Amino acid sequence: MATTVRLQGLTKRFGGTLAVDDLTATVHPGRVTGFLGPNGAGKTTTLRMLLGLVRPTSGTATFDGRPYEELVAPTREVGTLLEATGFHPGRSARDHLRVLATAADLPVRRTDEVLDQVGLTDAAGRKVGGFSLGMRQRLGLAASLLGDPPVLVLDEPANGLDPQGIRWLRGFLRGLAEQGRTVLVSSHVLPEVEQTADDVLVLAAGRLVRAGTLAELQSEGGGGTKVRTPDGERFVELLTAAGLPGRWLGPEELLVQAPPAVVGELAAEHGVVLHRLAEAAGGLEDVFLSLTGQVRP
Amino acid sequence: MTALVRAELLKLRTVKLPLWLLITTLALVALGVVATVLTAGTEGSPLQRDDPDLLARAVASASSGNVVVLILGILVLTQEFRFGTATPSFLVTPRRARVLVAKLIAIAATGVVFAVVSAVVAVALSAALIGLRGDPLTWDGTVLQVLLGVVLVMVLYGPIGIAVGALVRNQIAAVVGALAWMFIVEQLLVALLPEVGRWTPGGASTAVLQLGDVATTRGELLPVWGGALLLVAYAVVFSLVAARLTLRRDLT
Ligand SMILES: Nc1ncnc2c1ncn2[C@@H]1O[C@H](COP(=O)(O)OP(=O)(O)OP(=O)(O)O)[C@@H](O)[C@H]1O
Ligand SMILES: [Mg+2]
Repeated sequence: MATTVRLQGLTKRFGGTLAVDDLTATVHPGRVTGFLGPNGAGKTTTLRMLLGLVRPTSGTATFDGRPYEELVAPTREVGTLLEATGFHPGRSARDHLRVLATAADLPVRRTDEVLDQVGLTDAAGRKVGGFSLGMRQRLGLAASLLGDPPVLVLDEPANGLDPQGIRWLRGFLRGLAEQGRTVLVSSHVLPEVEQTADDVLVLAAGRLVRAGTLAELQSEGGGGTKVRTPDGERFVELLTAAGLPGRWLGPEELLVQAPPAVVGELAAEHGVVLHRLAEAAGGLEDVFLSLTGQVRP
Repeated sequence: MTALVRAELLKLRTVKLPLWLLITTLALVALGVVATVLTAGTEGSPLQRDDPDLLARAVASASSGNVVVLILGILVLTQEFRFGTATPSFLVTPRRARVLVAKLIAIAATGVVFAVVSAVVAVALSAALIGLRGDPLTWDGTVLQVLLGVVLVMVLYGPIGIAVGALVRNQIAAVVGALAWMFIVEQLLVALLPEVGRWTPGGASTAVLQLGDVATTRGELLPVWGGALLLVAYAVVFSLVAARLTLRRDLT
């Protein structure tokens, strides 16, 4: 049951764009791994390389040592949900799943089981062309479950789901991990990740900028100070000179690993105008912004 | 492999398009039969009303659906990319060549179904019309050969369509281009420049269907077996090219 996913030196170049840059990471069984990064960071490209849909420029991605293309029964080994996955608008939800089950040589009764799991039983006979975004997302999730796989690779699964759906998804992913499955989920909805993930991989501009447990990352955000200042560039230099490196959270916002009193005094000493000075509450958002903000030019 | 072929056939059966295309095919077949039988004996038709080949020539209209099967092949492939269903298809079967082979087999099988239904309609309608006009009906080996030719043509045009779809990718451009090629370019070549036209897929089909002097006023087409071989060669070469083009492409 337990399958480990390994990405090794994974790199993809689209013409002049380096979409994914030398990404090495391990995704462990029995845990939900959140794959985070801002828009265009390369999450989808990474997952598509992992699933053999995009050919890496270099590097490998494997499931217990085997690339996706070499899996004997991929649908039984890896469940997948990708953004922009297509449905024929004129085909019913049940028929869409029947096609996949037939191709994967799975019993056709699985289609009704997974439709029930994602709450689509009543809409099963309707054409997908008339489905809402959330319903399509549920159908995609149903497809990922067809083979009852030990690994799930899901790209933005919460996209388009209503609050009930999101809560359901959260419990569902936790349940899958508790059964010992390997769950890799990309997202940029941070509160969602904080409630679901055990491990976190943070991608920015194609590079892995942080990997660790959720608890480790959250604790990095606490105990510091958030500063808003129109004179950020100079203040960063002053902070660095004082041995207190600041990280950018936004255009005028910094996170500094020091108590507010120390930061405020430094600003006063050098006459730096502050618009805000507050203790950082901690949490994934600050860490995420500081990690992914740094990479920006 | 059988599971994949069944899945491809299921894809075809779970959308409306193939049924509409079958109805279109039968309309074309009926039109072809009526035109062939009713123009026989008039000025401009190479057929006399008592021509022993009249029935065989009329029955050859059962291949009118070749263009429809070609378009079905184009749509089967281009829709996978247009609707993005190529992603789930290739996730279930990462060895993409197998998906393509399953598609080729499924479309060829669909061609057989279209051919058989077309043949039944063409034979019944031809016999009825010729009988109604009181003209002699000649049931001979030629009729049977033509019917076999119909099946061959209908089986091979689907895979060619899949290949055209893989080559052109743009659905509308592929369909319009295929129609222009079949109804304008090939017709002109076969009629006016048969020494070139006989080497086109359309020229080869015309030879297989033994339409010789019906199709061209200026020269010989290939012999039946030559046309058949050429058509098979087209389908095989096109399929191989399609395989090369589809299989390595990034799906982003
Ligand atoms: N087919 C393609 N051709 C050229 N560039 C591409 C292609 N696909 C992706 N890219 C580029 O690769 C980079 C990474 O894109 P990707 O879709 O992987 O990001 P993402 O992290 O999934 O973003 P999002 O959060 O918006 O989904 C982007 O700069 C994107 O423009
Ligand atoms: Mg994405």
